[in-house]
Amino acid sequence: MDYFVGIVSIVISGMLTNNIVLNQSLGICPFLGVSKKTQSAVGMGLAVTFVISVSSCVCWLLYTFVLDLLDIGYLSTIAFILVIASLVQLLDIVLKKLSPSLYGSLGVYLALITTNCAVLGTANSVIAQGLDFFQTLMTGVSIGLGFTIALILMAGIREKQALYDIPRPFVGFPIALVTAGIMAMAFYGFSGLSFT
Amino acid sequence: MEIFLNVIVPVLIIAVIAAIFAFCLSYLGDKLAVDRDARIDDIERNLAGANCGGCGYAGCSQFAEALFKGEAQLSRCNPTSPENKKNIAKILGMSVGESVATVAVVHCAGGNRAEDKYSYQGFGDCQSAELLAGGSKACDYGCMGLCTCVRACPNNCIAICKDTGASKVDRDECISCGACVAACPKKIIGRIPVTAKVYIACSNTTKGKEVAKVCKVGCIACGKCERVCPKGAIALSNNLAAIDYTKCIGCMKCASECPRHCIQPIGDGVRLLEKIMAAKEKAKEKAKEAANAATEKQKQDDENQ
Repeated sequence: MDYFVGIVSIVISGMLTNNIVLNQSLGICPFLGVSKKTQSAVGMGLAVTFVISVSSCVCWLLYTFVLDLLDIGYLSTIAFILVIASLVQLLDIVLKKLSPSLYGSLGVYLALITTNCAVLGTANSVIAQGLDFFQTLMTGVSIGLGFTIALILMAGIREKQALYDIPRPFVGFPIALVTAGIMAMAFYGFSGLSFT
Repeated sequence: MEIFLNVIVPVLIIAVIAAIFAFCLSYLGDKLAVDRDARIDDIERNLAGANCGGCGYAGCSQFAEALFKGEAQLSRCNPTSPENKKNIAKILGMSVGESVATVAVVHCAGGNRAEDKYSYQGFGDCQSAELLAGGSKACDYGCMGLCTCVRACPNNCIAICKDTGASKVDRDECISCGACVAACPKKIIGRIPVTAKVYIACSNTTKGKEVAKVCKVGCIACGKCERVCPKGAIALSNNLAAIDYTKCIGCMKCASECPRHCIQPIGDGVRLLEKIMAAKEKAKEKAKEAANAATEKQKQDDENQ
């Protein structure tokens, strides 16, 4: 039962309380870059969710069964970067073959994820927290979903913003950053949610 | 020995991991390779690679695929050079067709010479002005000069002309991507061949009397251009002159005769028209002199008698 509550708290924290973008300030680049249209935001969000879940699991396996056993845990960063880069490439190849429609809808975003720091950040934090495999999987999925939520919210706001009469110096990225700041404050309200 | 263990071994382990990944990737890459027709890559190589999106597809790669499937037309792409287009046509086994390079042009020179319907004080955008009683100009087909096309241009080559207050395309910089054509709520930006020497600087299709009321330089459909054109390239349709560029030889007669100056020279045509106008002026002066001389002679003759 305790274990189940732990899982629920991981999911809530990944999606809301510790939102990867709005609370931890990771993955800001795609958050600002791919949030102009809701449709592309959904595509990017799902692609990131997919890659974060798979890569954090693979990184966990690699760390637990190779790096930790050989006592070279300090090399985890470089090993994780290797994992993420090859994983994205692998996904690219596999999706192209198995599901051309999904590949088509993810399109350019897949390649962009290689440089998304949220992926590496999740892998690192999973190892640092000492979670087990299932918890790692749930963390990956929920953090990815949290990223998707933030991205879609932002895209919705920016779509509306495009029609507003914004002061000249604020048009574009400045107002997007201000918006992100206000959203982060709103998400801070979730920190009251606690399961322990 | 200790250094060896502490440095070389971890490096080796990482190298081995990397090698395993590389091996897996290359193996799977070969095994799961998608059979894509090599011709698609050939087509893509021949495209300009500008990824401007002017064709309506996300990028050159998607356009190449659509071309291969026969869903798209090669003429939709403007940045690609004619030679490369020929290559692509060869790959696809079809003729190039009439895919001439084009530039965007604003079919309105009214601007501040057209009457205002009301004094617009809003967001400063053509789209929003268009929502308010169909635009701020009394002419429903006139450029409002609120810069929606200027902001849409990826190449920064369209600007509001200081003389007229209507927007104008810098034809040397224009890549003819069509962004402004799509952005203009009045739909008065079009594309004409690069070789064109004249264009119609008006889009108003209402009757001449109505046009004369709202704009000083609008086409009143007088038909003079239609009559002076030696090749029959201009025809009036919907109270507006239209040029058939396949017939136009660039004689500039229409531009020099248009009483409303709404057939405007463009490109090489600008200098050509200047020359013609200068020659006309000279001829006028000569005629005047001749007339003066004639009257003087008449006078002398009268005196002699």
